[in-house]
Order: sequence, then structure tokens, then C-alpha cells
Amino acid sequence: MLSNSNLLLQGITEALFMLDKDGFIIYSNPASSAITGYTPEELEGKPLSILYTSAEDTIKSEYELSTARKNGKFISEGWKLRKDHTPFWGEMILAPLGSEIGERPGFSCILRDVTERKELEIEIRKSEERYRLMVEGVRDYSIFMLDVNGHILTWNDGGRRITGYSSHEIIGKHFSVFYTAKDLADNKPANELKIAAATGKYDEEGWRVKKNGSMYWSSVVITALFNEQNKLIGFSKVTNDLTERRENEEALRQSEERYRLLVEQVTDYGIFMLDEKGRIISWNEGARRIKGYEASEIIGKYFSIFYPEEDILNGKPPYELRVARSVGKYEEEGWRLRKDGTRFWANVVITAVYNHHNILIGYSKVTRDLTERKQAERELRQSYENYRRIADELKITNQELSYANGELEQFTSIVSHDLQEPIRTIKSFLQLIDMKLDEGQTAELKNYISKSINAANRMKELIHNLLHYSQLSRGDLQLEDVPVDELLQSALQNLRDQIEKSQAEITINNQVDFVSGDRIQLLQLVQNLLSNALKFTNSNQPRIHITCVRENSQVRFSISDNGIGIAEADLNKVFEIFRRLHPKQNYPGTGIGLAICKKIVDRHSGKIWPESKPGKGTTFHFTLNEEAPHDTLHEQV
Amino acid sequence: MNKYKIVIVENDEDEQFFIKEAFQNVGLFDILAQVSSGNELFDWMQEHPGQRPDVILSDLNMPGKNGYDIIEEIKTTPDYASLPVIITSTSSAKLVIDKCMHLGAADYLVKPDTFIEYVPFARNLHAIIDRLMAKRDE
Repeated sequence: MLSNSNLLLQGITEALFMLDKDGFIIYSNPASSAITGYTPEELEGKPLSILYTSAEDTIKSEYELSTARKNGKFISEGWKLRKDHTPFWGEMILAPLGSEIGERPGFSCILRDVTERKELEIEIRKSEERYRLMVEGVRDYSIFMLDVNGHILTWNDGGRRITGYSSHEIIGKHFSVFYTAKDLADNKPANELKIAAATGKYDEEGWRVKKNGSMYWSSVVITALFNEQNKLIGFSKVTNDLTERRENEEALRQSEERYRLLVEQVTDYGIFMLDEKGRIISWNEGARRIKGYEASEIIGKYFSIFYPEEDILNGKPPYELRVARSVGKYEEEGWRLRKDGTRFWANVVITAVYNHHNILIGYSKVTRDLTERKQAERELRQSYENYRRIADELKITNQELSYANGELEQFTSIVSHDLQEPIRTIKSFLQLIDMKLDEGQTAELKNYISKSINAANRMKELIHNLLHYSQLSRGDLQLEDVPVDELLQSALQNLRDQIEKSQAEITINNQVDFVSGDRIQLLQLVQNLLSNALKFTNSNQPRIHITCVRENSQVRFSISDNGIGIAEADLNKVFEIFRRLHPKQNYPGTGIGLAICKKIVDRHSGKIWPESKPGKGTTFHFTLNEEAPHDTLHEQV
Repeated sequence: MNKYKIVIVENDEDEQFFIKEAFQNVGLFDILAQVSSGNELFDWMQEHPGQRPDVILSDLNMPGKNGYDIIEEIKTTPDYASLPVIITSTSSAKLVIDKCMHLGAADYLVKPDTFIEYVPFARNLHAIIDRLMAKRDE
């Protein structure tokens, strides 16, 4: 039966050794074998140094033993070796045993394998080391520890870079050294620590002071550090120099401010933002002016408020946003509504707006009131049309004036020559008669009187023709559908005497039933042309051919003769009034006939022209109603 | 006094008669021919190439080729182009005178009030031709 103390020795998990006064093992318990791998027999009589990493290191074991004897106890930690030479981390307590027999006492040795604990410790230390190196190496952030009162305990490279202090200058100082005089007066550093301690964290952005006195804009995070007992043991402080970022932000803010002011003050354009749903989120002066809403009453409303009911029913507002979203932009002109319900003609551009991450954040909408411009355009167009009409009228008036001028010129020429000549002739003969009477000569008187009468008759004839001619210019045409056959027959009937006398041979080829015109004038026209064809012959039998055909929806009359013809140089003179191209003894007449023809054709908006080979004959062609006639011609049709 | 060789174009026979009488009386002209139209004038000129007139005096208003036609034809015929054509007519209308001068008439004289008063006309015409010739010789 084992004694209690023996039982204890056998059961304990720590290795227990009893050493003699020289440090040789005289007893080892079972746990010793379990820990070291040696059997009790192998251990017995061996020095304790058998377990040391260097078995020959007796100096160390002697020192330890003597220290234990001197101090009553020696505790050490260190590597020990098992029988198989694998190391273990041992915690060893050496203590002298009481001397009963007056000899130098032996020792008790307790050895505990704490390898696991040690490895954990090493691991932690390594990890802490890594963190420390990392923190110290961080360059962009100042990261340091404060004790509970705010004194700086650690420092890193970032701190040096940002503030200019090196670690030996700053460690131990109070962190308030970084604060501005104003912040210090406000007791800011202490307050920050108080907040951090109470809430776990304090963060802000603010001005801080560098070693050289200059300021930097800093982002600061102070974190309270608690130990396992939840006791405040200090603070970590991380700060960052944001001066540059702040400057950029400030520049951006100023730029944005400028744009915002610019946009807000633009008065001619309504410029505002919509969120991604189409709700109005900003408003400018132009928008207020154009649409009549104040910013306060419109912001938050859907932009469809500006659309007429029909557009809303047609889903136009969301459609426009869809287009803007899919192609980036929507542009149109259309009616929009003001606050008071009146319409305005708007030019609208909706642009999709994206953020840096390319996510749609809304739309910008630029609206311009084109009502006035449209009005101006319309007025311009109207005024242009007015001017064009006036120009057209002027052109017509000009043509008429030019025509009238031509007529006047003709009239001047007629009065000054054709009418004056017979009067002068009469006056000349009257003077001659007067002279002859004075001289008592009467032989020639009868002749002179006869010549005077001829001149007077000629005068009468000219005046009659002139009146007839000028009559053609005046008054409305009596337009009707004139049967062509009847027209030709009437003309031939009127010229029956002349035809019979000349034994003319007349043939007709008429393919047209009716022509529109003034019956009397058309009859005069055809009759004059036929009369000329009968008159201007070389005393041959006149052969006259009349044709009337429809060409290109126009009626063309042609009257051909086999007469004397017209010299090419004279073709353009034949229509001059009172122009006679042949001496009157050969071909009597006043020279009015073709002038009348020309006038009639002009009034019927047609053309008349001769074709001729001198000696072979002449063909006069004329057309009617070629162009929209001016005058009243059209209305009467 | 220079005696000018002249061809006179006038369609009225009575007028022709009195012109001839007056011109012969003043003794300032040598009348080469009297014709009654432009057609006759050019016929005569073709038939008498050796008898070149110093000047042509022509009425304006005539059947056949009239005064205007004569000016144009003279001016466009190289052989005749230098021949002065003086137009005479009853008309004193500026429109008519301008047209003649524009076409190239050497001068324009309004006919006397009656054709029995051609003597002063003939003297005046002679003076005008003097000036024309002097100008041309410059």
C-alpha cells in the first residue's frame, strides 16, 4: 500500500525529480518519464544536465543549483531535450531540500512541458511584431498610440511624413501638440478623447498643425482601446493629410458653384435636372420665366406637368426619358404648358446624366421658348410673302408701265409724224393758194385744193384707225367659245369683194371646234391677216391656205399666201403701227392692220409671228391663251 | 462757199418739189438725186458708185425703208459708214430726235412749218454741214 505522499508523487502530471547535493537524479516520478522519454532507471544517477540542450553544460546547471541554494528557489524557462533529442520548452523550478543530516542538502526539481504555451506566445509576439512593422511602415497615414491621458506612445513613418516630427521628438508628448490655438482654447483634444472613451470612437476632419507651424487638413479617427478587463488602456489615433484632396474638393466645389450660379441665372433657357424617375430636382431663372413656376412649388413634381393632356395620354414624357436613356439625348420642338395653362412652343433637349460609375442618376432638361421666334419667323415669312407679292405686283405693273411706255412712245411718234404730216401738207397748200391768189394766178388752185382734201382724208383715216387701235387696249374682252368654222366663214364673207376681184383660191384645214376669245376681235384678227394675204401679191392669183390645229393643248392658226413675202430684215417691223414697208402706190393702206393683229393676239395672251420667203409667200401663225392671262380674262372664263 | 453734193430722201412728191426749188435757189447744194425711200436710196447708190454724196438728207417717216432704217444700214455698211446722214422730220419730239442721234444720225433738223419755206432751211443745213466737215477734218 502506497503512502499518501507516494500516491501524490505517482499521480502528479509535472515531472518531479529529487537531486542529490551535486545535482544527480536520485528519484524521478512517472510523469518525468512521460515528459522526457527516459525510464526512471535511465534517469537515476544521471546529472540533471542530461536534459539540457548541451549535456556538457555543467557550468550552467551548477550555477542554477547554487543560485537555488542561495535564493531558496530558481525558476527558469528554456529549451530542454528529450531522450530522442527533440526539444521541449520547459519551465523548471529548482529548490533546495531541507538538510536533516547536516550534509549539504539536495534539490527538488519540478519540470513542466510548456512548449504549447510558449509556441503560442511566440506566435503572438511574431504577430505583434508584424503589426508593429506594418504600422511603422505605413507612410500615408499617421498611426500612433496614446495613453489614457493622450500622451503619444508610438510613432510611425506616416506620422513623421505628415507632421514633420520624428519619433524621438514626439513620443511622450501630448497629442494636443497637433491642434490649433483655437482648438486648444476650446479644449478640443480632451473632448475628443472623452467622446472616444465614451463611444469607442471619435472621427472628424479638421485643421491640424505640423511641426513647422503650417496647417494641414486632416481626417482623424481616434479609437479607444480596452483590455480584456474592459479597462481603458489608451487610444489609437489614425490621421491622414487631406489637404490636397480638400483643395481638389474645394476647387470642384467652387467650379460646381460657378456652374450652378451660371445655370441658375441663365434667363433665356429653362435648365433643370430630373432624377432618374423624372422628378424635378433643380430649377433655374430661365425655367421660372418660361414656365412661371417658382423653384419651391415645382421641385419634386414630375416633369410631365409641362405637357398638354394629349401628350400625357400618349405617354410622351416617359417615352422621351426612354429615348434619352437609350441614345443619350432626346430633342424635339413642341407645345408645352406654362403654370397659367397657356401654351408655348418649346425646343426641348433632354440628356441622360450618369455618375462616375456610369450609373444613371437623372436627366438634364433644357427648354427654350421659341414662341417669339416662331412668331418672328412667321412674321418674317409673311412679310417675305408680302414683299414677294408686292414684287410680283411691281413686276406686273412694270410690265404694264413698260408696255404703256412703249405705247406712249408709239403715240408720240404717231402724233408727231403721222398726224402732223397731213396737217402740215394742208397748211402748206393753203399758203400756196394764198400766195397764188395774191399773185392772181388761179391755174394750180384746184390741184392744191384737191391735194389738201386728200391730206384731210388721210388725216381722218389715220385718226379713225388710231382710235380703233387704242380701243382694243381698253375695256374687257367679251370672252366666249367661238366656233372656228363660223369665225373663218365670217371673215371670208366680209372679204367677199376682195376675194372675188382677185379670184383668190382659198383652202381651209380646220381641226378645232371652238376657241375661247372675243368674237369681234378674233374676227378682225383673221380678217386683217386674210386681207393682207390678198393684198400683197405680185398680181398673181392669190392662193391662200388656212389651217387651225391643236398643238400641245394650244390652238394655232396659220394663214399662208403665195404673195410677195417679207424681207428677213423687215420681219420684226411688220407689227409697228403705221409702218408701211412698201410705197403706197403699190400697196395702199395706213400700216395699221398688223399692229391691230398684234394687239389682239397680245390681249388673248398669244403669240403671232410671220415666216416668209421673199417672192414665195408668207405664213402668219398665231396662238391664243398661251399663258394665264392677266386682266380680267381669267375671271370671266 | 463750199457746194455740197447731196442726196435727198423724201416720199412726198410735193415736198420733193419745193425742196428741190429752194435748194437750187440758194445755190449751196449740188443735188445728186432725189429718192422717195430708203429702198430707192440704196438702189441709187449701188447704181451710181462713182457719185458719192457729201451728205444724205432724209425724211424719217416713209413707206419702205424709213429714216431709221437708212441710218442703221449706212452705219452697218463699211463702204457707207462715214457718210453723214442728216434726218429731217415734222416731229420735234425729243424721244424721236434722241432715237435718231442714238442710231448715228449726224444731225436732226425739224422740217419747216410749211414746205414752201425751205430756203432758210437750206442755208441752215449748209452751215451745219460746214461745221460737220470742219469737225471731221480736225
